[in-house]
Amino acid sequence: MPDRYTPQVVDHLVRPRNAGEIPDPSGRGESGHAACGDIASFTVGISENVIEEVRYKVYGCAACIAAGSALSELVDGKRIVEAARVSKTDIEEALGGPLPAGKEHALTLVLDALHKAFEDHWNHAAGEMLLSGEKKPGNGGKSVVAAMSGGVDSAVTALLLKEAGYDVVAVTYRLHDGEKGSRSCCSPDTVLFARDTAHRMGLPHFTLNLKELFDRRVMQDFVGSYREGRTPNPCVACNAHVKFHASAFLADELGYHHVATGHYARVEQGPTLGRPVDESKDQSYVLWPVPQELLARTIFPLGEYRKTEVRAIAEERGLAVAYTPESQDICFIPDGNYRGFVRKQVEAEPGDVVDRGGKVLGRHAGVVDFTVGQRRRIGVSAPTPLYVTEVRPTTGQVVVGRKQDLEVREVAVRDLNLFLDAGEAASVQVRYNSRPVPCTVEETTDGEWIAYLDEPVVGVAPGQSAVFYTEDEARVVGGGVVARRAA
Amino acid sequence: MIDLVYLDNAATTPLDGRVFESMLPHLGGCRGNPSSLHALGNAARDAVEGARASVAALIGAAPEEVVFSSGGTESDAIAVLGLARSAPSEKRHVVVSSVEHAAVREDTKRLEEEGFEVSWIGVDADGVVDLDEFAAALRPDTALAATIWANNEVGTVEPIRELASLCSEREIPFHSDAVQAAGRVPIDVSEVPVSTLAISGHKLYGPQGVGALYVRGGVSPEPIVYGGGQERGIRSGTQNVAGIVGLGAAAGLAREEMDERVAHERSLCDRILAGVEKIPDVILNGHRERRLTNNVHLRVSGVEAESLVLFLDSLGFAVGSGSACSSGGHKASPVLIAMGRSERDAFSVVRITVGKDNTVEEVDGFLQAFTVAVGQLRELSPLYAG
Repeated sequence: MPDRYTPQVVDHLVRPRNAGEIPDPSGRGESGHAACGDIASFTVGISENVIEEVRYKVYGCAACIAAGSALSELVDGKRIVEAARVSKTDIEEALGGPLPAGKEHALTLVLDALHKAFEDHWNHAAGEMLLSGEKKPGNGGKSVVAAMSGGVDSAVTALLLKEAGYDVVAVTYRLHDGEKGSRSCCSPDTVLFARDTAHRMGLPHFTLNLKELFDRRVMQDFVGSYREGRTPNPCVACNAHVKFHASAFLADELGYHHVATGHYARVEQGPTLGRPVDESKDQSYVLWPVPQELLARTIFPLGEYRKTEVRAIAEERGLAVAYTPESQDICFIPDGNYRGFVRKQVEAEPGDVVDRGGKVLGRHAGVVDFTVGQRRRIGVSAPTPLYVTEVRPTTGQVVVGRKQDLEVREVAVRDLNLFLDAGEAASVQVRYNSRPVPCTVEETTDGEWIAYLDEPVVGVAPGQSAVFYTEDEARVVGGGVVARRAA
Repeated sequence: MIDLVYLDNAATTPLDGRVFESMLPHLGGCRGNPSSLHALGNAARDAVEGARASVAALIGAAPEEVVFSSGGTESDAIAVLGLARSAPSEKRHVVVSSVEHAAVREDTKRLEEEGFEVSWIGVDADGVVDLDEFAAALRPDTALAATIWANNEVGTVEPIRELASLCSEREIPFHSDAVQAAGRVPIDVSEVPVSTLAISGHKLYGPQGVGALYVRGGVSPEPIVYGGGQERGIRSGTQNVAGIVGLGAAAGLAREEMDERVAHERSLCDRILAGVEKIPDVILNGHRERRLTNNVHLRVSGVEAESLVLFLDSLGFAVGSGSACSSGGHKASPVLIAMGRSERDAFSVVRITVGKDNTVEEVDGFLQAFTVAVGQLRELSPLYAG
């Protein structure tokens, strides 16, 4: 690494291009912090997906000033997709070679500021769309918007699509403030890492800010479920209202046809969801709420691969993500303490622990602490293990019983999203990582389904997803939410 | 030769032509080792002893109280590490100002790692050490105290006479880094009871790579290198004869020309200050009167130090940034933070240090360039609304 600046850096320092700011920009982005010593801001004027004007400002070292100047030149007049492809390496090349040791952050800083301006532009363009989950119709072409989290699955997804000849745009979502590596100045590490990964593959990258939508449709629903004695599934809620809609929005704005994610599932005739090659990774269960018209334009490249193959592809192609650990749990509760998260937002009211006959066995601190099937921390001693069989938020009662009291033979399902004819439903899966149970389905007058199970199932909780599969269990007929059992 | 107007004399000074001449006989041909007994050895030893007398004269010391070293950093290390380590074992406390040069600061941190307790003494907004806090920090178990004579960044001259007296009354060894002060501020160790005092060759128009440590008679710091016992055993290793001769010549010239240099530098600095203070939001850091006469340290709101230094460099003017930009971001100067500046203000500084050979024309050219650079960088800055 060199120990001094190139003449190009000095030239940009003394004669910065596109200095200043646009008064009424399409998007504005700022990265960095005065206390870190560097701040960069970009304003962009975008029309018909072309960057008609770009202006930047920097307080910072010569590297930051020059990098901002060079970046502004690189994107000025370009189509937004091409501008989003400009990488740190491109900026370095424009500056005549690598920056001196310790100055690389300048590249991250100015790129982050520009990308935040793009993000702001998309937020303006989306208006209410990214808040409500409404969507516009799509266009044609062999083009795809691929969601990219920074993990191995989504990175290989984008790579496979690129190698299959698609025009790929990678997109990362800002969903909440608890992202790994969050700080006040730059974007969280996850976003920066995803951007780097996309750029190393030569792909354009955008970030969409979905925090408000995610909060409204996923996090508040999560908390509300506990308050109402239901067991939430935030990943399902996210698939139902956030991810696919946001990808489709960006695809529509860019005139791209498809959307893709790194889920292990397939799109089968119908269209409907199908189980993937790697059944141990099957995610068809959490994808049931994706609207059929969105599923029709969705690609799940990983449905054809085993997880081990995906890791091998990543290693073979030298993707740095190959060694990242599996993401687990709920993304907005990284410490896994769901109760603590819910308790922060919900006032817990004490109530009675009762048996099925209504006899009071003890007291509890709040119904939000309980879900159906729970065995631990009930606070009542008994000769045989006790399980929560029902949570009654209106009376504040937590009903407990023996394990066999958890068994159900019929499940009521509401809020259905159907891909195939009801007649094709032959089995139902009521929990992630479990097998479907054969059943017969009856439709009620108010649009709910009653699934009569061939064998009893333990621990079916209101709020969970019930997903119906075809006779051969290869395809999803539809899914819905387990309703509260009639008392 | 790079054609620059050089205004970074606190970093290093040009080598005076007369100093250069004095060194030449010791750089070529067969030179003796000052420890040798033959005629060449005697000649080398005479040269070193002549230089020792000259350096001693600059600071009012006896020649035998001067130890030659490789520079300011080594002199500081011998004093700080050596005095603390040679103190009686029950004395495990040191008192050091919070505005030291990195040399003393890092030596002190090293002592902290070795188990010494450190009292860092605060300064006021101008960088002047708080005498009361300093006095209150001195304890029976204090092994060493240290304060820089004149600050290398902001140029503030510290009340060394008072600080040294507080220590000498309590029989606590006191070290002062006088690398910037020597040759610019009158120093007389017969009046100011310092135990040790560090000097560097290349800050007073002498060569780089040579320095001296004044060690008062009766004071004996533990060495930090061991070997042939040169320099009274305090600094083993064959002496850098040419360098020492250069330092001696430079010290002699400094003593003769100090008044003239100070007057010249002060007039240049006054001119700079009058010029830059016409620009809004450019403020002098450090004490307005109690300062080195060659130092103008400025806060330039909305402009980051490194970009300003490089901008001025491209216009042909060499100045100092006074803040190092390290990996992944910057590190604000501990001196400016100790003076109560915000990190943001600590990044927006520039250090202009003139020398005896700078001219009024150079200063006027600088003022023009500075105005252009600041104006343009501020236009680009999201932190300056002018």
